[in-house]
Amino acid sequence: MKIVSCFSRLSEIAPLASAGADELYCAAADIPSYGHGALRGNLRSAAKAAHALNLKLSLAVNSMLLTYSKREMTDFAGRLTRAADDGADSFIVASPSVFTLLKELKNPPSVPIHLSSTQPCFNSRAARYFIRLGVSRLILPSQVSALEAGAILRECRAAGVETEIFDYRFFGCVYVNGRCNLHDPIFHTFTRGKEGAELCRCGGGAAGTLRVKAERVSPGRAAGAPALARRIYARMSCGGPPRIMNAASFHDFFSMGTGYLKYGTRRDPSEVKIGKVKELRAMLDLAEDQAKKLPPKAARAAFINRMTGWRGGGF
Amino acid sequence: MEKGIKISNLDPATLKTNGALAGALKKFDRFYIGAEFCENLLPRPEDLRRTAAFFLEKDRKVCVLTPPISERGVCNLKSAFRLLARLGPSALELTINDFGTLELARECGLPAKISAGRLLCGNVFLARKRTFQLINSQALRFFTAQGIDRFELSASGELPRTNFSCARSLGFAPGDLNLTLYYPYLNLTTTRTCLLGVPDIPPDESVTGIHCRRECEIASFDVKHPLVREPLLVHGNTVFMRFPRKFYSSENNLEAMRVNRLVYCPFP
Repeated sequence: MKIVSCFSRLSEIAPLASAGADELYCAAADIPSYGHGALRGNLRSAAKAAHALNLKLSLAVNSMLLTYSKREMTDFAGRLTRAADDGADSFIVASPSVFTLLKELKNPPSVPIHLSSTQPCFNSRAARYFIRLGVSRLILPSQVSALEAGAILRECRAAGVETEIFDYRFFGCVYVNGRCNLHDPIFHTFTRGKEGAELCRCGGGAAGTLRVKAERVSPGRAAGAPALARRIYARMSCGGPPRIMNAASFHDFFSMGTGYLKYGTRRDPSEVKIGKVKELRAMLDLAEDQAKKLPPKAARAAFINRMTGWRGGGF
Repeated sequence: MEKGIKISNLDPATLKTNGALAGALKKFDRFYIGAEFCENLLPRPEDLRRTAAFFLEKDRKVCVLTPPISERGVCNLKSAFRLLARLGPSALELTINDFGTLELARECGLPAKISAGRLLCGNVFLARKRTFQLINSQALRFFTAQGIDRFELSASGELPRTNFSCARSLGFAPGDLNLTLYYPYLNLTTTRTCLLGVPDIPPDESVTGIHCRRECEIASFDVKHPLVREPLLVHGNTVFMRFPRKFYSSENNLEAMRVNRLVYCPFP
């Protein structure tokens, strides 16, 4: 398993490589991507710096909001071609329109396409569908567990398509990525200036004033409603719905031969990025070391035991 | 304007017991059955076929709703599609919310017209409270090239402005697409792990799937969140908003924005 890290400044490239990154990815200011934190600096310089360290560089092209006229789409295609010329080794794509655009271009940029987790693939048939569209790597959403993903991984392996997961500790919106309208006040409005992530991660003090009231209670089942109301209260005020990805699921993905492990919070400060990549490397080293020393079942148990003691920045 | 009703996994017998069947048959042309957001709520394949057959025999049209699916859902839907295929060509429509379902429908040879569901709407449209815009013509062609020209969206409480009058500069013709509008609930976000069900997952447990006890059948929940002005409604794995007030003066307003089918959802 190799480590893919985000970056947003040229000065982060060498320290991230030293921390253990095997590949890098970034977003460019002139190419819409999902999330925040575009590259400060030009892509050509970034690619040159990454390649000098033998690191491949992917470019996030994974916005769904490509609201373009015909002419603007032509401009966008030109920017993709320039990004490829600047040295981007692959594009991370979510929107179907990009697949159509690349198919319709006479001379499309010849870079591999990675399917973004914001176009979530939950099953082997979805994997087959996107493999037929030409993806060379499938980035799995955090809402699918390793034991559910066996058929997806087999489908990818048979087609020579790479697979990638996110580190469960540093990423993982509990709602389906790319299809969530909770983060941003699109249909609702916030009571005060805030970050939408508070709604789906930790409630940040929401508990105490959250009100939950059952409605449309099924006849004869009212007794079950208060316990469910308490569960909603807990989940919507702190932490959100249960997370599928955990130490066990990571180890299973690792054992099943998943190719890449990603850290992708681009707007983290440089020192946080570097620290997190070190944590990814430490976790991967641990899994690899135990896999060499112990039988599979014991290695898994030892890994989970050790990672259970991990507390954000050390064991 | 075609009128539909979403009955999800209710069967005709239950509707009859509730006293709702006769009225629904009288009022609606099309019945939406199945599950839109959660694979655990999909009816058993034979139940789905039986419900579809019932409404088809009553000369009503049927659309089978399908949710995002895991590998378990692939197995369930494969059986369902094989049974549904026996109902005959063009008897059914299928709404997909997962590209894997599109692949599976092809694999099973299901002769159904396919629509892109509300969870796929963002692939083609930028939906906001007051605007509903085609993002670009390539997105539309991606779907129309696969025979999909109907897209489903939720009512947002206001009649949204579209960019369809700029169709030429966008590179499409408004007639290339049809819209189905669901009301009165707008799906805000969906999770695979349910807000109501699914116990917390300990670090040593690698889950094999979302094991459900159908807690969502007990009740829906109004939530007043301190960070959000509007009331939210939690039903199972999805958070909704509700817009019960009629937001258009006539159906012509809707038809002008290519909405030619309305689907009433008695519950979220």
